[in-house]
Amino acid sequence: MDLPHDNFSNQALSAEQLPKINQLNQQPLAPIYPKVRLALTASIFSILLIIGVLILNQPIIPLPDNATPIIHNILLMIAILAVVILIYIYFADQKKSYALRELDLHFTSGLVFRKTVSQPILRIQHVELKRGPIDRKVGLAKLQVFSAGGALHTFEIPGLPVEDAESIRQFIISHKDANNG
Amino acid sequence: MSEPLIIKQQTDKWQRISPIAMLYFIVKIILGLLGNIVYLAPAVIFGYKEIIAHPHIWLPVATLVLILIFIGTFLSFYFFQYRLSNGHIEIRSGVFSKKHINLPFTRIQNVKLEQPLYYRPFNYTCMQLDTAGSNKQEAKVVALKLDFAEALKQEILSQHHRQNIYSEDGTDSNDTLETDSEKTNDSINTNETLLNTRSLTDLIIHGLTNNRIWIFLGGLAPFFDDMGNAIANFFKSFGIDIEQFFMFADKSWWQIGLFALTLTFMAMLLLSLFSVAGAILSYYNFTLTKLGDRYIRRSGLLTKHEVTMRLSRLQMIVQQQDWLDIILKRMNVKFEQSNAHGGNYQPGAANNKIIIPSVKAYESQRLIDDVYPENKVHSVIYQGISKRFLLRNIGYFLSPIYIVIAIFLLYHSNFSVLLGATIAYLFISLLIFCRWKRWGYAVDKQFIYIRKGMLGVDYYCFPIYKVQQTQFVQSWFLKRHRLSVIKFVLAAGSQKIPFIDQKIGYHLIDNALFQVESSKRSWM
Repeated sequence: MDLPHDNFSNQALSAEQLPKINQLNQQPLAPIYPKVRLALTASIFSILLIIGVLILNQPIIPLPDNATPIIHNILLMIAILAVVILIYIYFADQKKSYALRELDLHFTSGLVFRKTVSQPILRIQHVELKRGPIDRKVGLAKLQVFSAGGALHTFEIPGLPVEDAESIRQFIISHKDANNG
Repeated sequence: MSEPLIIKQQTDKWQRISPIAMLYFIVKIILGLLGNIVYLAPAVIFGYKEIIAHPHIWLPVATLVLILIFIGTFLSFYFFQYRLSNGHIEIRSGVFSKKHINLPFTRIQNVKLEQPLYYRPFNYTCMQLDTAGSNKQEAKVVALKLDFAEALKQEILSQHHRQNIYSEDGTDSNDTLETDSEKTNDSINTNETLLNTRSLTDLIIHGLTNNRIWIFLGGLAPFFDDMGNAIANFFKSFGIDIEQFFMFADKSWWQIGLFALTLTFMAMLLLSLFSVAGAILSYYNFTLTKLGDRYIRRSGLLTKHEVTMRLSRLQMIVQQQDWLDIILKRMNVKFEQSNAHGGNYQPGAANNKIIIPSVKAYESQRLIDDVYPENKVHSVIYQGISKRFLLRNIGYFLSPIYIVIAIFLLYHSNFSVLLGATIAYLFISLLIFCRWKRWGYAVDKQFIYIRKGMLGVDYYCFPIYKVQQTQFVQSWFLKRHRLSVIKFVLAAGSQKIPFIDQKIGYHLIDNALFQVESSKRSWM
């Protein structure tokens, strides 16, 4: 198979001249996003713990004797897990960033494992904005981009201010590549 | 072309398919019932005596069930209609829940013909239409005359080419596609060239080599007894006498062990036979032919399958060789297409892949060269991955676990189990070493090649411009040593290259993105 001839300069480029993904112009997510996630996770764990405590102290159904220590242990484990997860989320969410270039989108995340996902706009099949009830309340949106790579490899940027998400979506839809590939 | 006109005249209005389709529906219903036999079986078994004792009640019930099956079949047939108009195919089906599918020819990615055994005497076939895109819409025309189906297939595929030419006209970057399509249009009436066939021997080999886990267990079988002893002693050392659990009646436990061993052997033999039978069922009379830019696979003992794939749809070539394949000097070659469908609604057809089972090295070379003449899968020099792969997996994961276990066993002075654990540790380390040794990559102007495996060797080769998405991953550990893990996502799945120099990783990704974006070529 031969390559299209007008792009053959392609091959002549040296490594130094290629656009580089380690020199991206990284944009932070909405400042409220880490706070919302932290609050949400904290409240989910609190609800779990409160339910546990209620079960222990309710007078309606008497618990079997050996159940109490087990529940104690479970609650303790949940509490430890909550602390670990909250600390992780607190630091990891600050490390998330995205970048747009003329021809592709990038999302970088991870605390221990730093990962940069790059999605050429040419390969995008469709775009979705996802907003849960909490996202709507605080004016956030999650951008989802689907390619033929399958559901496992959906490109996602969470925690964008709605206006930004909307304009990125518009940028993708009106992109000349988006209707080609 | 004259064929499309004929088709048009015949099918512009809604029409039913041949009554022969009732056979198809009846088989489908019966298979559906058999599929649920797990739930029905207890009822039948417990009710058996009842049924025999009171034939006057159960006979009418059985008759009723039969009648219901027939009515269901007839209704399914009655409500199944299709028509072809303006390059669309529409299918209406369903008795209670109605289904209406409207499919433009241009969106059809794949046309498969499937000929079950009972259609063959009448020369009928099923036509399965696959679409591209994210929503799973599949359509099946249940009974068509074989020659009509062939003509229709030609028309659908040729419409596709025409559409391609028109819609992509004007953009220079697409001229390879156009020439490809034109070539096809020209060659539509020429004969297919035969690329490969598989003999019965090949299929038996394929059946055996693809059942390797059982053969592997078979190799271990002589040691089963010793292992059993060791396990028993292990439990005994904790004060549990496992033998007394197995003291059925007056048989000693080694008799039962022997019995179990024989049973395992029988099971393995049976499974191998099944595997061979399965290979013959699905690949009997295997032919791979080429017509223009289309590859056509035909095979099947009872149900004949035909899968057509355009060259441009191909995402990745895979050559797989497991350790048994290496001994027998055989390999499986796979042409992988987009697997966006999940691809398991049709087990017999092996979804969208074209697999050429158990070919010899020179045949594999010839097949791969036919698809991508410029590839160097077999001649390129593969770069290995960093030795830190060994350090990470053996040093940081496996060894600590082993050391903890070893200390525990030493504390209990349980040396026989310690020996076992040590052997397992060494064996797993050896496997990790093999994995490291195999893992390699290479790049040239058009392709990325990946070699990997453990006991076997697999080669993957894909054109760089087919990449859908890239990922660059680096942990603290990797960053400290300037290493990285990169991943290329293709429509046919993703491929990872771990533990390579971060500079190379960045370059491979930058280059892949550049090739995708600058070539502007479609991935399908």
